[in-house]
Amino acid sequence: MERAVPLAVPLGQAEVFQALQRLHMTIFSQSVSPCGKFLAAGNNYGQIAIFSLSAALSSEAKEESKKPVVTFQAHDGPVYSMVSTDRHLLSAGDGEVKAWLWAEMLKKGCKELWCRQPPYRTSLEVPEINALLLVPKENSLILAGGDCQLHTMDLETGTFTRVLRGHTDYIHCLAFRERSPEVLSGGEDGAVRLWDLRTAKEVQTIEVYKHEECSRPHNGRWIGCLATDSDWMVCGGGPALTLWHLRSSTPTTIFPMRAPQKHVTFYQDLILSAGQGRCVNQWQLSGELKAQVPGSSPGLLSLSLNQQPAAPECKVLTAAGNSCRVDVFTNLGYRAFSLSF
Amino acid sequence: MSSESSKKRKPKVIRSDGAPAEGKRNRSDTEQEGKYYSEEAEVDLRDPGRDYELYKYTCQELQRLMAEIQDLKSRGGKDVAIEIEERRIQSCVHFMTLKKLNRLAHIRLKKGRDQTHEAKQKVDAYHLQLQNLLYEVMHLQKEITKCLEFKSKHEEIDLVSLEEFYKEAPPDISKAEVTMGDPHQQTLARLDWELEQRKRLAEKYCESLSNKEKILKEIEVKKEYLSSLQPRLNSIMQASLPVQEYLFMPFDQAHKQYETARHLPPPLYVLFVQATAYGQACDKTLSVAIEGSVDEAKALFKPPEDSQDDESDSDAEEEQTTKRRRPTLGVQLDDKRKEMLKRHPLSVMLDLKCKDDSVLHLTFFYLMNLNIMTVKAKVTTATELITPISAGDLLSPDSVLSCLYPGDHGKKTPNPANQYQFDKVGILTLSDYVLELGHPYLWVQKLGGLHFPKEQPQQTVIADHSLSASHMETTMKLLKTRVQSRLALHKQFASLEHGIVPVTSDCQYLFPAKVVSRLVKWVTVAHEDYMELHFTKDIVDAGLAGDTNFYYMALVERGTAKLQAAVVLNPGYSSIPPIFQLCLNWKGEKTNSNDDNIRAMESEVNVCYKELCGPWPSHQLLTNQLQRLCVLLDVYLETESHDDSVEGPKEFPQEKMCLRLFRGPSRMKPFKYNHPQGFFSHR
Repeated sequence: MERAVPLAVPLGQAEVFQALQRLHMTIFSQSVSPCGKFLAAGNNYGQIAIFSLSAALSSEAKEESKKPVVTFQAHDGPVYSMVSTDRHLLSAGDGEVKAWLWAEMLKKGCKELWCRQPPYRTSLEVPEINALLLVPKENSLILAGGDCQLHTMDLETGTFTRVLRGHTDYIHCLAFRERSPEVLSGGEDGAVRLWDLRTAKEVQTIEVYKHEECSRPHNGRWIGCLATDSDWMVCGGGPALTLWHLRSSTPTTIFPMRAPQKHVTFYQDLILSAGQGRCVNQWQLSGELKAQVPGSSPGLLSLSLNQQPAAPECKVLTAAGNSCRVDVFTNLGYRAFSLSF
Repeated sequence: MSSESSKKRKPKVIRSDGAPAEGKRNRSDTEQEGKYYSEEAEVDLRDPGRDYELYKYTCQELQRLMAEIQDLKSRGGKDVAIEIEERRIQSCVHFMTLKKLNRLAHIRLKKGRDQTHEAKQKVDAYHLQLQNLLYEVMHLQKEITKCLEFKSKHEEIDLVSLEEFYKEAPPDISKAEVTMGDPHQQTLARLDWELEQRKRLAEKYCESLSNKEKILKEIEVKKEYLSSLQPRLNSIMQASLPVQEYLFMPFDQAHKQYETARHLPPPLYVLFVQATAYGQACDKTLSVAIEGSVDEAKALFKPPEDSQDDESDSDAEEEQTTKRRRPTLGVQLDDKRKEMLKRHPLSVMLDLKCKDDSVLHLTFFYLMNLNIMTVKAKVTTATELITPISAGDLLSPDSVLSCLYPGDHGKKTPNPANQYQFDKVGILTLSDYVLELGHPYLWVQKLGGLHFPKEQPQQTVIADHSLSASHMETTMKLLKTRVQSRLALHKQFASLEHGIVPVTSDCQYLFPAKVVSRLVKWVTVAHEDYMELHFTKDIVDAGLAGDTNFYYMALVERGTAKLQAAVVLNPGYSSIPPIFQLCLNWKGEKTNSNDDNIRAMESEVNVCYKELCGPWPSHQLLTNQLQRLCVLLDVYLETESHDDSVEGPKEFPQEKMCLRLFRGPSRMKPFKYNHPQGFFSHR
């Protein structure tokens, strides 16, 4: 099979370095602005890029609309997780959380509003923060990551209120169960733990790898992604992607996906998942694969659904992972185009 | 007589008789006044009204008489005849009256006409006079205006102002008393003064001219004197030669070179001058020489008449031979090509000496018909080099100077006008001929002061000294760095082919003391083969794998794990880093598309290369990258989590000190080595 050879552009040192950086870029996290028109993406070099979804989706979109409106260096280390409140963007990197004002970020040279570090036990290595979760009723933020603990931070005062201990290895992901306000956390130790926010205690533990039908020892036991729908929970990672009934702690559906999944979310009556492999997978709740839509990156790490009511024209699914590109799906059936750093 | 003549003529002039049949009047001039009867005079006396009445009465009488005659005639009788006769006589008398009246009327009419005529004549005469006078008046007015407008020439002369005049002019000219009052005299005086001044100035002018002539003659004399000096100086120079040699100041040699340099074509001349200047000023290791035959160069510019005379005989001979055997079309085309690609007989040689006594020999040629310069390069080392197999291309004359500046591959002619010339003789591209002609790199053109702008094609490109001077220093430095880095690579390759990664002592701190993975193979790979590899697609798609790069394959092994690394070496090494793409064969095939950690390993070597540069001029980059690759493989294999379902111990026990094995959503391994603590952590 012949490959089309691109024209060799005379590349000096700077261009080669830039090209190499883009080749080895990984986008870990995404977050949609409160107005729904912008998308923030954080990469492994600690940069955050803001893309204008409304410009890229409009009918006069040109190539420049698929480039970021602004890119800035947010953290020293990779930006593993980002979440948006109604006015701020919160980004987490190497052991610290920074807040940015959405209204200010579009201007060049913006500075973070504040920067907080939860109290860590060890000082040898700064643990990363892998997951951020907003609890709107309490106006607080939950962080979890490399130090195997969940920290709660009050957004108004900036103080760290609770520490939830229980995991034996670092935490990958968090999910919020609204009905009885509980937080679910999944970690490297292979367990999904449920915590009651009011009592700050662990109420339930599900060790996924111990269940034979879903465990896959050659991948490991780590839980990479969690999503919950109050009664139901879907989790994936080393073990197979499984749908659990929370009250009885039993796996009800096992999705036949070989590659470990890194992100999963409920959407309408479907479950969307992505992980190793190019495709965004769409599952029926019964366990059938409805569709597999290929993206442009060899592996995906995050999915984001723009469901902001203020911008219905920007209702898209965006997927990002092991490349410098964010794929935009306007309709779940195919990839429309890609934004790129 | 006069009555006849007056009948014939119709005079307009006043006095004429007009009325015919008046024999009684004016027959002779001698008749006295009392005798002659002037009816004209009578006209004036009689009253026209009464004449009119008389005429009416006469007519009535005639009518009455005619009626009576009629009656009498109709009655008839004897005495009628007498009465008729009476009446007839009366009628005659009336007829006579009528005739007279008629005459009078005619005379009156004529008189009236004559009077009118006369008056009209007078009026006409006055009118004419008036016109004449008006005409004269106009003429006189015109003359007056002309006189008033007359500008005398003296007004065009700029006279000196009045004050100056009175100040400067000698009193006999200015005559103040007279001139003050009378402007006419004043002007005259001023004109006099002007004339006086001009005469004086004319004299001065003549004087100056004669001076000038004298001085010119003096200059001529001095010039001759100087020119007679030249041969004397030459003889002194000759005499001083032995002294020069004794004192090691080879002015003569330099002088000779400059003599030869005069025959160089302009771009080579610019290069020669600039390179010599740079060598003397900044860089003692640069030496410049001119090679080639000066006579041939002179022959190029021989005037055509001489050659025609010489060759007329040979021409005749040649014609005979050519008639018998015409060369074939192919040969003709070949000759044309050779003619087009002809080089100037002189060439400039630059020798750059590097610190380790290796020398880069550059020979610059000028292609006359194409107006471009080319260069041939050769590297010689102090000691003879044994070339390892993989290093074949590094120092080859064809590729040692490739891409000295990014994109300058030297395979295409930089002069856009050449394409048309090539089309005429069927040359497709210059790259077929670079081996014998040398490479037409862009920096070579710049050193020769030739600039070929892409946007506006110029008619003739002239060699420009300032262009050459501005590029000289950078290019020389780049050339030296290039030679040294290639030589360093040369040495390193020799070691790599033997499976040893040569890490210098000042770079040892980058790596842990114990590295178990070993480099097993290091070979060159062809460009097409590199493009066909399945794990190099990203580099090819990003446009980083052009045909001017060098491609190699390295194989690192440990136990059952084999790591293939495809290396792209840019000719601009070491400022442009080598790029690695990995493929690990251990428990399946892992590349950057299916294993995030392989991607991280590539990133450690490709993106974080600046840490591995080592001391300037960073010749150690490639070897450090390879060593790091071995360390990364060690970490990868030792930190692989143990699969509980498989029996048996881990193939690679963990020996490296790591704080954490996995981190982040991608579960990265700890690839970063920390010195001097010696543990591995994450970036």
